[in-house]
Amino acid sequence: MTGEMTVTESRASDAALVARIVQRDESALAALYDRYSGMLSPVLNRILRDSQAAEEILQDIFYQLWRSATQFDASRGSLPGWLLVIGRNRAISRLRRHNPASGEELLENTVVLPTNLESTIAQQQLVGKVKGALDSLPKEQRAAVELAYFEGLTHSEIAERTGDPLGTVKTRLRSAVETLKRNLKT
Amino acid sequence: MSGTHPTREEDFDLYALGALDGDEKAAFEAHLASCASCKMKLAEATGRMAMLALAAPPASPSPGVKERLMRQVLATGRGPIETAAGVAPEKEGIFARWWGLLLPVAGAFALASVLLWLHNEQLNRQIAELRITVDQQQKQIAQAHEIAELMTARDTVVVSLAMQKNQPEGTARVLYNAQHGMLVYDGHLAPTPSGMSYQLWLVPMSGAPISAGVFNPAKGEMNSIMAKVPPGTAAKAFAVTLEPAGGMPAPTGPMILVGPVS
Repeated sequence: MTGEMTVTESRASDAALVARIVQRDESALAALYDRYSGMLSPVLNRILRDSQAAEEILQDIFYQLWRSATQFDASRGSLPGWLLVIGRNRAISRLRRHNPASGEELLENTVVLPTNLESTIAQQQLVGKVKGALDSLPKEQRAAVELAYFEGLTHSEIAERTGDPLGTVKTRLRSAVETLKRNLKT
Repeated sequence: MSGTHPTREEDFDLYALGALDGDEKAAFEAHLASCASCKMKLAEATGRMAMLALAAPPASPSPGVKERLMRQVLATGRGPIETAAGVAPEKEGIFARWWGLLLPVAGAFALASVLLWLHNEQLNRQIAELRITVDQQQKQIAQAHEIAELMTARDTVVVSLAMQKNQPEGTARVLYNAQHGMLVYDGHLAPTPSGMSYQLWLVPMSGAPISAGVFNPAKGEMNSIMAKVPPGTAAKAFAVTLEPAGGMPAPTGPMILVGPVS
């Protein structure tokens, strides 16, 4: 018996696609866009709450990858990790009207993700795990983490925003990252 | 080395989160600049905190983003265009003197016009080709989004497929939603022997196994299968077998990977 519809595909690794980008292969960039744009778009929209601005940054990140692919060293970190960090930094910069981040980010950041995110399934599984880890935090801790991550606020700025004592905010965030570290282990 | 190592491991995560400020941040950065082991810890913490991005509510970019990106790449980013531009001035310098002697100015303009026209035609062809590619990829994205949404449904199960004894190494996972009859397989397997293919099967609670796809992985590449089976099919297990090239109506070869649905 045969299923009604089947789509199969073989996928090159991130490193192989980056190597093809260095050779000026546009289809490799398109493949990486397909692989990771769906992962980046939610966080850009969550930070900026402006789909047009989020799309501009999304395009900009992948265009930077096209221009700077020779600088990417897979041994120093994972591509999706870099994309997430660069995407968040740029969105926060825009949100807070800082100068846009420079094109040197690919060189400066080393990001080690504890899991391979090259497949859709892996991405979807991690989504569930991260949401579960955040759900496990007490409400105040979760709110503090979200203010730091999605709005780019420091300890002091969170205290100012919420009206809570600085020491309380620090304790909450410290406890939160301890719990997240434990719950996000693979 | 400046300063001492951070005394608390959470400092790496707090720095990666962007929460440190003032003296705390300055001291951390001063130490980090000269400490390789702390840089490594920070890289791990940065990855950990980066994963928080995945908790954001779902949002998909419009298909126009990819189209604009690829146009931007085509218009400004291609190496050969830059190389050609770099070479052009030298040729122009050599020939310009002869043209000044042999051809009237009007002839030079005419030649330049033809060259520009040819270049324009070439660019138009590239844009047309790219548009076709973008259209195809937009359809693929739309399909991928549809499947991704389905696969995040609460009643979707994840099945890990385990390697069988004396069989080639491999790992795979299947996401399956029985209500919608949709499955997604992702796995790594060694290339098949010549004349053979791998075949993925859904083993239902009752009845014959259902083929969910045939594939031949290249070395080092991951294979994905998206397949639809009759909605409401309760699955007992998923399996990958080695079959003659192109697959078989029912499993005949050895089982390479198997995963029961719990």
